[in-house]
Amino acid sequence: AMRNRSEVDATLQTAKLNAAELLPVVHCLSFGPQAGAGECCLLQLEPGLCAELEAGRSLVIRGEKDEHAVLCSKDKTYDMKIADTSNMLLFVPGCKTPEQLNADQASCNIIHSQIAGFSNHYWELRRCRPKLKKLRKLLMEDPYEGPDSQKDQTFSKYTTEDLLSLIQASEEEILHQLQVLSACKIEGYWRILEFDYEMKLLNHVTQLVDSESWSLSKVPLRSCLEELGSLEPTEMIEHILLSYGRKYVDDGEVYFEMHEDKTCRAIAQMLLQNAVKFNLSEFQEVWQQSVPEGMTTRLDQLKGLALMDKSSRPETISLLKVEDLPENNQERFNSLFSIREKWTEVDITPYIQDLCAEKQTVGALLTKYARSSMQNGVRVYNSRRPIS
Amino acid sequence: GSLLGDLHYTREGVPVLIVGHHILYGKVVQLEKPFAVLVKRGAGEAGPEGLPACYTVTALIKTKLLFKTRPKPIITNVPKKV
Repeated sequence: AMRNRSEVDATLQTAKLNAAELLPVVHCLSFGPQAGAGECCLLQLEPGLCAELEAGRSLVIRGEKDEHAVLCSKDKTYDMKIADTSNMLLFVPGCKTPEQLNADQASCNIIHSQIAGFSNHYWELRRCRPKLKKLRKLLMEDPYEGPDSQKDQTFSKYTTEDLLSLIQASEEEILHQLQVLSACKIEGYWRILEFDYEMKLLNHVTQLVDSESWSLSKVPLRSCLEELGSLEPTEMIEHILLSYGRKYVDDGEVYFEMHEDKTCRAIAQMLLQNAVKFNLSEFQEVWQQSVPEGMTTRLDQLKGLALMDKSSRPETISLLKVEDLPENNQERFNSLFSIREKWTEVDITPYIQDLCAEKQTVGALLTKYARSSMQNGVRVYNSRRPIS
Repeated sequence: GSLLGDLHYTREGVPVLIVGHHILYGKVVQLEKPFAVLVKRGAGEAGPEGLPACYTVTALIKTKLLFKTRPKPIITNVPKKV
């Protein structure tokens, strides 16, 4: 039998509480039939996520058995962790606050409320960097070498849906990274171009620009497809133009403004991957000669791609790609310190920039993972722990 | 279901919970980070062949009543010892 008003008043009297000091409405709380079933869990919502849910959008939890679960909205990724509440939380749907009771002029003065469930822990979210290293790893299983490739058919190919279920990142972060990787969809699958093939395509375009004496900032799409369509699939020609140029329309025709930095950087990679180390000044000479006429090479185009050694005589340069380094912060720093014992901030920044969390600076990372000292009047950073 | 207790509010809006022989005074807290209450859909089918496990958000909790002070015992009339 449900509690009635006289029972409530009797309890108030026993408790020596003055009904006149209380609002007239009481909630009589009891446990609902499913309360103990333990079927619900609590998820603490970071700013913005509540609005996402209220707008009718969904969130996705992603991760394979050997990975820590992450939660993704349409454009952000969050680490998930179980946390304890300091007190037990009881969920009471429809329980009113004093403001709601004062606003509601209902005549009844008992609300029988059911406790629908309870919990003493919840999932806590912390915004994190999307875990995108795996994306490159998957796409590198079978890089596209062109239509004439003699390679055996592998089935290491991934559609957008495949990637969404395998990569611990939001859809927007994944699509953005695919763009950064210059990946393209071939027959419905996302493919990364094999580097030599990518350079072959780029070379076709730059040779054509040179022989036609076009301006590098006004490369016509139509002519490229006409002239090069017999050498390579037209989708690939268009793809290389989109990857290395900025598309625009002028007078109804599509043109591309070739990206100087990206082009020079790719050509540098092509040169550097042929040997372990190069004489820096010799490299700079060959590099400038190798880029299209009208483009200027600059060492800062090589950030995160190559490392210079200014302390050796002669000065040298070698390939070091940030995307080949570990994704985990501590492992990244261990790796960098095993490559070079002491780093200046300028040299190490391109190799740790991507580790920065939402509002974190490179300086904060260095404070946490490195020890600094002065060497010849310059601040250098080395490992906090011995590196084997 | 079994009774937990009576929840009152003072005229100043302070929640007062009477549970068994205890009175607890609390406060209304607006959650800075709301909670989503998730209920698993299709329980027991979470296998590789079945549909992927799905949670439904059945509620968003934006307010809580926090009772963290020591419960005050209610002393009922105890008959004097003979």
